[in-house]
Amino acid sequence: MDPLLLGAIVAIATIIVLFSGVSVALGLLIVSAGFLIIFDGMRSLELMPEILFGKLDNFALLSIPMFIIMGASIASTRAGADLYEALERWLTRVPGGLVVSNLGACALFAAMSGSSPATCAAIGKMGIPEMRKRGYPDGVAAGSIAAGGTLGILIPPSITMIVYGIATETSIGRLFLAGVFPGLMLVGLFMAWSLYSTWRSGNADVLSSGSYTWAQKFEILPRVLPFIGIIIGVLYAMYGGVATPSETAAVGALLCLLIAMVIYRLWNPVDLWVVLRDSTKESVMILFIIAAAGVFSYMLSSLFITQSIAAWIGELDVNRWVLMGAVNVFLIIAGFFLPPVAVILMAAPILLPIITSAGFDPIWFAVVLTINMEIGLISPPVGLNLYVINGIAPDISLKTILKGSLPFVACMIVAIILLCIFPGIATWLPNAVMG
Amino acid sequence: MAGQSTLPVAKTGNNPFLRFVAALSTLAGWASAGMIVAAVALTCQMIFVRFVLNGSTVWQTECVIYLMVAATLIGLPYVQRLRGHVNVDLIPLSLAPRLRFGLCMVTLSLSIAIVAVMLYYGYEYWHFAWDRGWRSDTVWGVRLWIPYLAIPIGFGLLLLQLIADLVAVLLRIETPFGLEDS
Repeated sequence: MDPLLLGAIVAIATIIVLFSGVSVALGLLIVSAGFLIIFDGMRSLELMPEILFGKLDNFALLSIPMFIIMGASIASTRAGADLYEALERWLTRVPGGLVVSNLGACALFAAMSGSSPATCAAIGKMGIPEMRKRGYPDGVAAGSIAAGGTLGILIPPSITMIVYGIATETSIGRLFLAGVFPGLMLVGLFMAWSLYSTWRSGNADVLSSGSYTWAQKFEILPRVLPFIGIIIGVLYAMYGGVATPSETAAVGALLCLLIAMVIYRLWNPVDLWVVLRDSTKESVMILFIIAAAGVFSYMLSSLFITQSIAAWIGELDVNRWVLMGAVNVFLIIAGFFLPPVAVILMAAPILLPIITSAGFDPIWFAVVLTINMEIGLISPPVGLNLYVINGIAPDISLKTILKGSLPFVACMIVAIILLCIFPGIATWLPNAVMG
Repeated sequence: MAGQSTLPVAKTGNNPFLRFVAALSTLAGWASAGMIVAAVALTCQMIFVRFVLNGSTVWQTECVIYLMVAATLIGLPYVQRLRGHVNVDLIPLSLAPRLRFGLCMVTLSLSIAIVAVMLYYGYEYWHFAWDRGWRSDTVWGVRLWIPYLAIPIGFGLLLLQLIADLVAVLLRIETPFGLEDS
């Protein structure tokens, strides 16, 4: 059979299986086994456990559970609330200080936790009620946090970037650096929209915040600085050539857990178990998808599907920007339904040869891909962050949250366009630091 | 997500088989979490030896990798019990109860079949390593049947948990896909 036709059949079968409600990882294994049996016979299945094990047999994967523990231990404390309060006290003179500090807290918390829903929950619990109390429109309050939360997968250290790095064999260090300026650019765009929409809604007077004494400003610092110190330490260790991302992540995880225990008194074994249980659950889920996606991409390449699609796109001779546009539409649609990790693992092996042969930088593409995934996090029907916000502010309707989030989706699309025009926003920092 | 103390968990009712499988899966979860903690500790020890004591490390990296693989595979049944394996439930949500029940039977049967395949060939692969005395081609030269053991154990326990899930839906102890009728 023509590998391209076969590719289309595999794609349709994968969509049907994944939409049936079976878990993503097992779904990938089912599709892989089905096609391997049909085209290579029953004996080809004996390779599956070996490939699955081989995919997990990678030291770089260690960074995933380590960063998850780091994030979970921070998220289990009041660190999010403290961070939010600290920024609010320090940014009180900035117009719209409250929404600015909320988004800033989201960005910083995202850097510490690496998780979008955790960021939404940690900052939103304090931020949304406070913004509403001060008269910010519900849509802005909910939308800014939902969008701010998505920064978790872009600003380093990001689990999504690690997974992309592993799937495409790209340097995780470079990927992390590539996310910094686009992350800051998104924060800037989010802030600009929040301030503009608040001003337009006629609530301009809420843009000025309360005032705090210097004593109040300094009092809160000891509670937030250690975590920020760890993040800086982790990044320094990684880029200073002291240790690999996995090693620094392990030390970061241990330190964050210790700080949570010492400063936030997280000694209770039950609370500690909750952190460990949630970390185990999330790590195992992600690592199993990685392993299953390894079997899936083995099936694709053993049936020559990956190679044929890349060759076919190469022969199409379309304008590279039309190609990039099509890839973006595909990613946004995939992101509407599937978690970022699953999209990256399934799409990266197929898309990367196409992207690189069209002359795009894989590091730059990682950033574009991640912003696409961020859009999926605040868009229906799956839009995880929307439901997190709905959980912490149940009296704001899902419709209002969704309407409030849409302008932020527009901000993300603007960011993707800016990245296409000025790719240096993503590529300059990794090139400057790592050569 | 972190910070939650209550989670959706597979229901067991008073059924002794379901409770036994739930206990096994929980035990596997503890083992998995323990291995992750061991991996953190070992990595920190490795960094300490290398950067503080200026020594060299021989077995740690490989050991940490195998701990992570084992934590993943042996953690599978526990994560299944906690409903932690992500899925797309749009279609199940939009179906009428009878159709949803039917689809749940199909997906669970397919899951059981694929896990049984992985268990069968995983056991075969482990047995090869055991029979032929395979060792890793590193300085440490660990006997590979030890890390490979995680494949049959992990998939075997996952198979049990999936069968328990099927039984729970059939006995109406659990709703299809864990979704409430509405």
